[in-house]
Amino acid sequence: MQFDDQGRVNKSKKRAVFNQPEAKNRVELFRHLPQYEHGSQLTDLESKFLELDSMHPAVYKVGVQYLAGDVTGGNARCIAMLRAFQEVINDYSTPPGKTLVRDLTAKISSYVSFLIECRPLSMSMGNAIRFQKSRIAKLPLTLSETEAKAALCNDIDRFINEKIILADKVIVRHAATKVRDGDVLLTYGSSCVVEMILLYAHELGKQFRVVVVDSRPKHEGQALLRRLLAKGLSCTYTHINAVSYIMHEVTRVFLGASSVLSNGTTYSRVGTACVAMVAHAFRVPVLICCEAYKFHERVQLDSICSNELGDSNDIARVPGRPDVNSMDNRTNEKNLQFLNLMYDATPSEYVSMIITDYGMIPPTSVPVIVREYRREYLLI
Amino acid sequence: MGAQKKRAAAAAAAARVSEDPDDLARQPLQAILLADSFTTKFRPITLERPKVLLPLVNVPMINYTLAWLEAAGVAEVFVFCCAHSKQVIDYLENSEWFSQPNFTVKTIESHNIISAGDALRLIYEQNVIHGDFVLISGDTVSNMSLTQALQEHKERKKKDNNAVMTMIIKKSKPSPITRQSRLGTDELFMAIDPNTKQLLYYEDKADHSKGTICLDKMLLAENPSISLHNDKQDCYIDICSPEVLSLFTDNFDYQHLRRHFVKGLLLDDIMGYKIFTHEIHSSYAARIDNYRSYDIVSKDIIQRWTYPYVPDVKFCGNRATKLERRGMYRALEIEQSRSAQVGSFTVIGYGTKIGSNSKISDSVIGEGCTIGSNVLIEGSYIWDNVIIEDGCELRHVIVCDGVIMKAGAVLKPGVVLSFKVVIGERFVVPAYSKVSLLQQPTVHDSDEELEYADNSSGTVEFSSIQGTADQSNGEMTSESSEAHKPKLGTGGVGYIWSICEGGQEEEWRHSVAPIPEDKLTELSEAMDDDQELVTQDRTALSTSGELISDSNASEGDDNEDSKDDSVYFEKEVEATFLRAVEENVKVDHVILEVNSLRLSYNMTSADCAGAVFYSMMKLAIKTPHSSAIGLLTLYPSPFSMVASNAYPIYLSGELQQNTANIITTWQKLLKSYLLEIDEEIEIILKFEEMCLESAKEFSPLFARILHILYDKDILQEDAILRWADEKEGADESDKVFVRQSEKFIQWLREASEEED
Repeated sequence: MQFDDQGRVNKSKKRAVFNQPEAKNRVELFRHLPQYEHGSQLTDLESKFLELDSMHPAVYKVGVQYLAGDVTGGNARCIAMLRAFQEVINDYSTPPGKTLVRDLTAKISSYVSFLIECRPLSMSMGNAIRFQKSRIAKLPLTLSETEAKAALCNDIDRFINEKIILADKVIVRHAATKVRDGDVLLTYGSSCVVEMILLYAHELGKQFRVVVVDSRPKHEGQALLRRLLAKGLSCTYTHINAVSYIMHEVTRVFLGASSVLSNGTTYSRVGTACVAMVAHAFRVPVLICCEAYKFHERVQLDSICSNELGDSNDIARVPGRPDVNSMDNRTNEKNLQFLNLMYDATPSEYVSMIITDYGMIPPTSVPVIVREYRREYLLI
Repeated sequence: MGAQKKRAAAAAAAARVSEDPDDLARQPLQAILLADSFTTKFRPITLERPKVLLPLVNVPMINYTLAWLEAAGVAEVFVFCCAHSKQVIDYLENSEWFSQPNFTVKTIESHNIISAGDALRLIYEQNVIHGDFVLISGDTVSNMSLTQALQEHKERKKKDNNAVMTMIIKKSKPSPITRQSRLGTDELFMAIDPNTKQLLYYEDKADHSKGTICLDKMLLAENPSISLHNDKQDCYIDICSPEVLSLFTDNFDYQHLRRHFVKGLLLDDIMGYKIFTHEIHSSYAARIDNYRSYDIVSKDIIQRWTYPYVPDVKFCGNRATKLERRGMYRALEIEQSRSAQVGSFTVIGYGTKIGSNSKISDSVIGEGCTIGSNVLIEGSYIWDNVIIEDGCELRHVIVCDGVIMKAGAVLKPGVVLSFKVVIGERFVVPAYSKVSLLQQPTVHDSDEELEYADNSSGTVEFSSIQGTADQSNGEMTSESSEAHKPKLGTGGVGYIWSICEGGQEEEWRHSVAPIPEDKLTELSEAMDDDQELVTQDRTALSTSGELISDSNASEGDDNEDSKDDSVYFEKEVEATFLRAVEENVKVDHVILEVNSLRLSYNMTSADCAGAVFYSMMKLAIKTPHSSAIGLLTLYPSPFSMVASNAYPIYLSGELQQNTANIITTWQKLLKSYLLEIDEEIEIILKFEEMCLESAKEFSPLFARILHILYDKDILQEDAILRWADEKEGADESDKVFVRQSEKFIQWLREASEEED
């Protein structure tokens, strides 16, 4: 939805489950994206809990988790949503005078719009929802309600197992072959697949070092670093502003992705493009690790037309440093706009290889996977 | 004495008050640097060179301290030299320290000083300290800014004349397993008033075995809030008012800065002197107290926590060094073979040669060393002009100047080689050994030392290093002529010091080598055991040294009580039973009595059955045997029991007979408690326990008595079989009696099958 279209925004506001005050100083270039005032939403949503009788508690819980940032990461968010839908389907009974196919689809749509209110969908979730809806639509009419529900739940289980969990295992196997003794592997942020790769390669007894590059404001790399250190890996931690310094030592760059688009563009946590470009300049191979269910047929050339904006306070404030406070109480200044982008797009020329559950492919082969295996969603 | 003390303090106070605050600020800051640690932790190295001149990442330690003092704005430093004072003075004279503008270094020399307290008394006599001063020892590395601490100290002093000292502390969590900080010092407990930052309690030698620390209750009564820390590290940097010196003079028994002075001030509430703390957060301060802290501080310097005092920044006395990637520092004119691998966090000094295929990592190599080919050096500190021949292996060791290691020699972790030692070809120096050209001095003969050493400590000994060093120097000259030192392999020169008594197990605690894995697991297991003990033993509090709240303590009491109860109950039942036997009380009455006991002690009938059975068996042992050796019957029964415990003189047949008799007589009593199968099993278990512990005589008879019990219908076969089944999964040691009665059980099983 284009948020600079006033009419549509007003319409959607009427449907909205809870109030989201819009940010006062919106960044002009990103007016088409939702820009809300952060902070009050969670309490607002919590206070509405008893009024939302149409909302399934499982979906509500997932929504609150998204909003509070308790569940992050493409896979985790997708699994949480699918599990919630599973509960929805289990508790579902067709109202009299309606058909399961129509009514359940409508219900799920309304839940999805609630989840979008909490946090914009990731592309992976979009794919999963599309799969879910197509499964409902394709249900044979001969099935009884219980059979249909069992079939749908089973489908969700298979999706989670085959497209996410098994896919990760396959990717880890593939990627581990690319780790050699004496390597220095760089990763950015915190990607669960990359973490699994590093740990697996370490278990295989390969001798390598890890450079964890992190960035403000989320510092996701610190959690990753902690887990890697606990397993006894030798790590270096630095921030993205030192990436050009550290890249001299690096022999491989492993990056996660939120999505890979049809033109080979990688859509990932903001900063990934920078790391990939620096690596490219230093002629260090960049390997993107991404499950095939996150591939999307969309073509995107920049990170402007579709993105997500985070809380502007996060970048205005430096936690734990009360001495750095020049931005305090300036967040509402008229001629100041904070831009806290969440994602960016990495052009395909900076990516050496994409490691996916169908094998290791060049970025140019993404459309093939999208085209050939898209049908498979229907086959599950 | 007291009057004099007061007068001195009053005079000092008067002098303070009269001074203008501006004057105070303008007064140049002075510092006392103790160039002697008055400990023996760095022996044998310190026998030949004072500790402050030992190179720390290729720069003598004292330079770090002096450079910091200069940077911190100190104008005048008095370096107090004691052991090897000549060397220290010579070094300082040849260094740039005497020619710095705005920074004067003066040396005070004394040979007959054996403690920091004596040193401060001497300085007081010389009357050179006029205002606040920094008290530091020459082995401290820091980069903190003194401004704020000094400011706080002065402001406090203005308000309260008794605030004589500000102690610098830093956060550092000790390992819960070894109870050591990362610097290898013992866990330190401090009580600090969170508002005023006043130090209220200081204990660096807490007794970990008990897991308790004792606080004076007045401490809690007098202070509205108190925070007890075990996560603070004492940096041994103190900002003192001049009164400190006079205090040392007044209390001529103060020797150690912390153990006597700080604790003395904290306990002494007559004068009311106060010590405050200043915590530093982002800057660095650490004192090198032992080999472990030498290792850790070296690593911190290499990893640049002590910036600007790092190898590649010239601060004093260090040569130009280039920092390369991953913490590699290389001085100029290094000859390094192409195939040599120099790993991360390594410093290589000027003019060192490294042969082919050698691997060096996490180490410091001094100047002018020659390292052959295929040498492995890991986590080691190699000082100047060391020659290491081909194929040597060094892991986590300290190698002093001029050492020669012949080809193939191996140093195990924790080894310290003192000056000019020669290690023979292919000789393996065992872990944690200390090797020196000097023979180990006999430490424990000096009365003076014994008097001085704190009785409670034991690990730290003070001695006049100078004296012993001279003495052993003399020895060396006479000794070196006899060139038979077979201890270090062919061609080896030097003595391996025997580890002093009691120190053996503690050696790993303060060694350069990291604590071995097995020690850690051993310790953590021991700690788990401790914790188990704590739950049983009500006298022990939590090992973490925290105060246990009342609720926990009472819970412990409850457990204890219930345990006591069952013991008392058993005793009561036994007494009742014995009286019944002696006085021929009717069985019904005995049952009545035991029942009343059961109610009063709140026991189950299974407990009764167990207790009754226990008393019956005891009686069986105690009963004098008709045919036993006549003499024994003459003795009163308790004695015979003792005797029976010691010598199994009973014929087993008789004991069995006795038991059978007693069981027959009292079977009604026993049966009255055997309502269900559980109680019967309880009896078997009790019997088993007895056979193992209190009445071992029964153990050979276990199967037979079991049979008797079965015959008399006291135990049903179900109970026996269930007991056997239960024991199936038990440990081998638990199964002894099942084995013994295997035949009987077998027979029971078959019988029951036949019945089916």
